[in-house]
Amino acid sequence: MITLIYAGIAIGFLILVLGLLARTQPEKPDEGLAGKDYAQCLGDARWLDLSERIFDPSDARWLRKELAFPKLANSLTRARKRLAIRWLKALQASFGDLVRRPEPVSSDTPLANSTPSWQMLWLTVRFQFLLLYALLVVRLFGPYHRLIPSFTWIPFPQKGASRIRSVLADNTDLN
Amino acid sequence: MSLFETVVYFGALGLELVLLWRAGRCRILKGFPFFYSYLVYDVCCSFVIFVAYWIRPSVYPTAYWLNFLLSSVVEFAVLLEISDHIFQPYPAIRHLGRALTILISFTFALVYILPAILQSHEPSSTLLDFALRASVTKAVILAVLVFTAHHFGLRLGKNVAGLMLGFSIYLGVNVANFAAAENFGRALYTRVLWVMSPFAFTLCLLVWTIALWELAPMPRTDSVRPAAEGNAEALTLELARFNGALSRFLHR
Repeated sequence: MITLIYAGIAIGFLILVLGLLARTQPEKPDEGLAGKDYAQCLGDARWLDLSERIFDPSDARWLRKELAFPKLANSLTRARKRLAIRWLKALQASFGDLVRRPEPVSSDTPLANSTPSWQMLWLTVRFQFLLLYALLVVRLFGPYHRLIPSFTWIPFPQKGASRIRSVLADNTDLN
Repeated sequence: MSLFETVVYFGALGLELVLLWRAGRCRILKGFPFFYSYLVYDVCCSFVIFVAYWIRPSVYPTAYWLNFLLSSVVEFAVLLEISDHIFQPYPAIRHLGRALTILISFTFALVYILPAILQSHEPSSTLLDFALRASVTKAVILAVLVFTAHHFGLRLGKNVAGLMLGFSIYLGVNVANFAAAENFGRALYTRVLWVMSPFAFTLCLLVWTIALWELAPMPRTDSVRPAAEGNAEALTLELARFNGALSRFLHR
């Protein structure tokens, strides 16, 4: 029985690796862009307004409590849930573009050696973790769920932390 | 030594020497230091074992099993090489591969490999169990690396893809082979199953030879503009900006 399990693991592993390797091979230019929904720049106020609207529960509350249209409110919540998932995926796609930004060919000193590259890695991992959590919460509980921890306990690296905090503060001020 | 053993032995040794010759000729050695160190180690060990087999046959079994044990550990160098090369062109995730490799290795060593070794009593079954569990650990690392590369939409060059493909074949066969050996006993392994690992390794070397015949640079993502020279701090701040945008919605 154990042999069969391990044989299954070996076959599954080979299929997974071969399948994923085939999909990560070089593709034709622009093929990767087809069908993807890219978020606009984070500095775009309209895009941020849109996201505020998606995650704002006041419209659904107004329909449910003041106009007494619970079915319509539910329908709106479902539509907002789909939009929230699209918004999060678009944010993820934009972040993917940022992460895939390669080093310039002519650069003599590699970026990652001249700067705190571990800090960049930490920010990347942190974002992926938060996004995974946000997608899970939105999928399970909808876009208006309030029981989301603040994640302030996940620290930023000490080096350059003040600059990063100021960027975060700027982001908050935009609202 | 049977004819099959001789063919597999000299076939593997020949392919390793061809790989090293091509690396020296095409100047690939510097680009893949861990991988070629592993190959040099394997060539030296094969030579020592071969000499031991003909000159002092009584030492041969000890030398063989010692090499078997050490190779299980040294093979992690190939994973380090692969993990470094997948993410190398991207400053934001350059160390991700190595971090994942080290993290998974230590976690599996503590939770999966060490307890099995400590609980085992018979040396031969301990050795096979260690080889099996080490192979599963390597397979998990490789699968996670490929999955992560796919998740970030990274493209793999011919060299790295070949390294991964060859090593996957070798690991897949090893996992099934060692599990069968552990389950059906040492006798069957000594008579039949022992040929599987050297044969899979020779096949793996053949794939590596084709993939590393010449240096193929990692393909770049054409749709993404390169980071500005010397502007790594800006990249860090952009990453922080994305984190901030997401955190804002989680703080509501």
